[in-house]
Amino acid sequence: MRWSSRIAASLMLASLSAASAHAQDLAYVHKKKFVMGTVFEIVAYDVSPARASAAIEDAFQEIVRLDGIMSNYKSGSDLSRLNRTAHFHAETVPTDLYNVIEESLRYSRLSEGKFDITVGLLVNFWKAIMRGDRAPSSAEEERLRRCVGYEKIVLVPPDGVDLRSPCLQIDLGAIGKGYAVDRAVQVLRLRGISSALVDAGGSTIYGMGSPPGQSAWRVRLRDPSDRIHPEVMMLENSVSTSEQTAPSLLEKDSAGHIIDPESGLPVKTAAAVSAVAKTATASDALSTTLLLLGPKKGRELVKAMLGTAAIWISPDGQVEAASSGPQILLAAENANANDSSR
Amino acid sequence: MSTRKTVLLLVVVLFAVPAWSKVFVRWTQPVPPPAKRLGVHELAIPWTADALSLSQGAARQGYRVYAEVAIGDASSAAKAAAKVGFAGIIVNSGDSQPDQIDQALRKLRSAYPRLLFLILNPNGKQPQMRGTLIVKRNGVLEATSPTAQPWLDTNLALVRLERAFRPAQTPLYSFAWELTDSLQQQHGPDVKDYALAVAEAGAFDADLVLSLHESLETGMAQNNPGAWAVWDQVKSYLRFSPQHPERRLDPEANVGVVTDDDAASYEPINLLARHNIALRVLRPADLSPRGLEGVDVVVVFSALEKLKAETVTDFAKKGGVAVLVGSQRSLARQSDSGQSAQPVRLSEQSVSYAVGKGRMIELSEPVTDPESFAQDIRRLIDHHKIRISLWNALTTVAVLYRPTGTPRRIVELLNYAEEPLQVQVQVKGSFRSIRFESPEQGCCESLKPTVRDGFTEFVVPSLNVAGRVYLQPESAAPESSRR
Repeated sequence: MRWSSRIAASLMLASLSAASAHAQDLAYVHKKKFVMGTVFEIVAYDVSPARASAAIEDAFQEIVRLDGIMSNYKSGSDLSRLNRTAHFHAETVPTDLYNVIEESLRYSRLSEGKFDITVGLLVNFWKAIMRGDRAPSSAEEERLRRCVGYEKIVLVPPDGVDLRSPCLQIDLGAIGKGYAVDRAVQVLRLRGISSALVDAGGSTIYGMGSPPGQSAWRVRLRDPSDRIHPEVMMLENSVSTSEQTAPSLLEKDSAGHIIDPESGLPVKTAAAVSAVAKTATASDALSTTLLLLGPKKGRELVKAMLGTAAIWISPDGQVEAASSGPQILLAAENANANDSSR
Repeated sequence: MSTRKTVLLLVVVLFAVPAWSKVFVRWTQPVPPPAKRLGVHELAIPWTADALSLSQGAARQGYRVYAEVAIGDASSAAKAAAKVGFAGIIVNSGDSQPDQIDQALRKLRSAYPRLLFLILNPNGKQPQMRGTLIVKRNGVLEATSPTAQPWLDTNLALVRLERAFRPAQTPLYSFAWELTDSLQQQHGPDVKDYALAVAEAGAFDADLVLSLHESLETGMAQNNPGAWAVWDQVKSYLRFSPQHPERRLDPEANVGVVTDDDAASYEPINLLARHNIALRVLRPADLSPRGLEGVDVVVVFSALEKLKAETVTDFAKKGGVAVLVGSQRSLARQSDSGQSAQPVRLSEQSVSYAVGKGRMIELSEPVTDPESFAQDIRRLIDHHKIRISLWNALTTVAVLYRPTGTPRRIVELLNYAEEPLQVQVQVKGSFRSIRFESPEQGCCESLKPTVRDGFTEFVVPSLNVAGRVYLQPESAAPESSRR
């Protein structure tokens, strides 16, 4: 089906008008915090700005706590300890770390290895090349590739993790922020907040409840063509975006931070992918996975997972989309869409 | 010029350049607290009907009072201000052309020699770590993006451009607070927001006209203890910059940016600064071999006349890298560069060719992605020459200075996240003494240097909002002996 901007606009107007007037009196509180190497932002509406403020601070503290567990930059984190000590024997880890690794492995299996939390060494290798800190070395690349492989992670329930390779390292960069967003949403709910938007650096966003006067949170998605202007209405679900590092203006071959575990090389695509899912953990993992899978295989994965949707947009305005529930709305009149979701 | 005129000009310049960083508080309430209590000696009073009476009250409280006026009101304000003892006039440049302002001020300076005339750039930004949310009262529009480094709103690009375009005056700017949520609108910025604004101006060697939120200004005017509790914390940052022991510091630079068009070059400079790439801005008219001394990469945004183009070509011939942006593509050919190799296409927009020991890169279009451009420029700098690098410091901006005529270095650090952060720093050169001071902890904590491969590395254990690091080579006299 060709996406219709008129239908999209009508849907949006209908959703925006379903609101009660008194809700406009709610105060909103907007806070941000630098954690996990990015800026987390939370907006919450509540009758009491003080309560909203306190709830947001508690949610931030939860994210800071998780960063202390999942960071691979902090040498004292539980993940760093795991990476140092769990080779060829199971180490006990905190429940959160166990859960997020377990969830990661699920996506690895679903994507037949395209999503892989053991690819971190290669990511660091290519990042160093991008910074100009080192020159490419095929021997080093080959050595690091031998360290990669999600199958070498063995979970020992209820809380043990065994790394079956002498050099395997786990990096939760493609899922950890999503997990932290989900946990922050839980904290906000426990503190009595029913309307909030939780944002991890713009790449993963969860819409909890809806803002006053609206039926959902309106979120505009990344569009490298600047022609499609896709949007989603978020209501108790999450959206994440992935895109390869922008190519260099002044260099012939530039690397990128998203690595294809199969080839060990930075994936070469200029498309941006946004994925909608029921949880932030899922949308975070899916967006990277779908970028690596591409639209052809990606559609099959989206269809197999209820409550998900995805859109691939190339810089020249080519659009591929898929959905097993949520709608992604396109505003462009001339979008060259290819939706095979139904 | 006669000797007498030269001496007079020097005296004027010396008095016109104030000490290291000054904060003017913008005051609107009827009676300000005593200057000593506020910890500030300069007040900027908006030019309204009450300005004259307010200025007299302020002068009695110990302030040097400046009238803040639009360029169109400067003449009438100067006439009135000269009679009642204003210290000077701050002229808001607005959207006026620099030549228009300079011409108007020349006349006024001549007519009112006792008044100090300062030009204010009102287009500063509230220094902050920015998020991606666009908050509206009827909802929130959010734009997703791939994960990126935190976006910092800093005024370093503005200050660098002001210094290049108005070299006779310390850059002076102001900004409007962005108060988005209910609590901020009611209570105003918090202490750390004020602290960062003050510290930023100090670190960049600039002057600031600081607006206070109505609740804070009214509170202090009414001697409200809560308001004073806030301001007393800000005062330690106000004291921090003027305490700077060096009156003459030269910013170190790896990159020279040649521009006379701040619209085209502003964002690239902003991103270079945000990535802690030490840079110097030059107007085309000021471009000279001396201006490019110590620079590894020069980025040219402006059209250059033949002689200036040759300066850039000579720079490349000696081993430098020149990046010619947009319409400056034909620079090398125009200046007979001695191009010795066929151009190599680097991307759709860029080609590179060897020139002597160095090279030129031509970018056919304006910089559309300043973030990528800044990272490209960093990669062009020889790694053994990078003057300053930071790690684990995505929210930190650093400025490296060299006290004039000394081998010492000073690093000014600002943390826009406004929360304690451990920062790892690497500075080109061998330094044996590293001392860190901050408004929160005072002076000074000795840090352990690690010297390797011509660089000195050290870790600032806890950078809150601002800090200053003194680096001394082994042979230099200790800092304390000079203070």
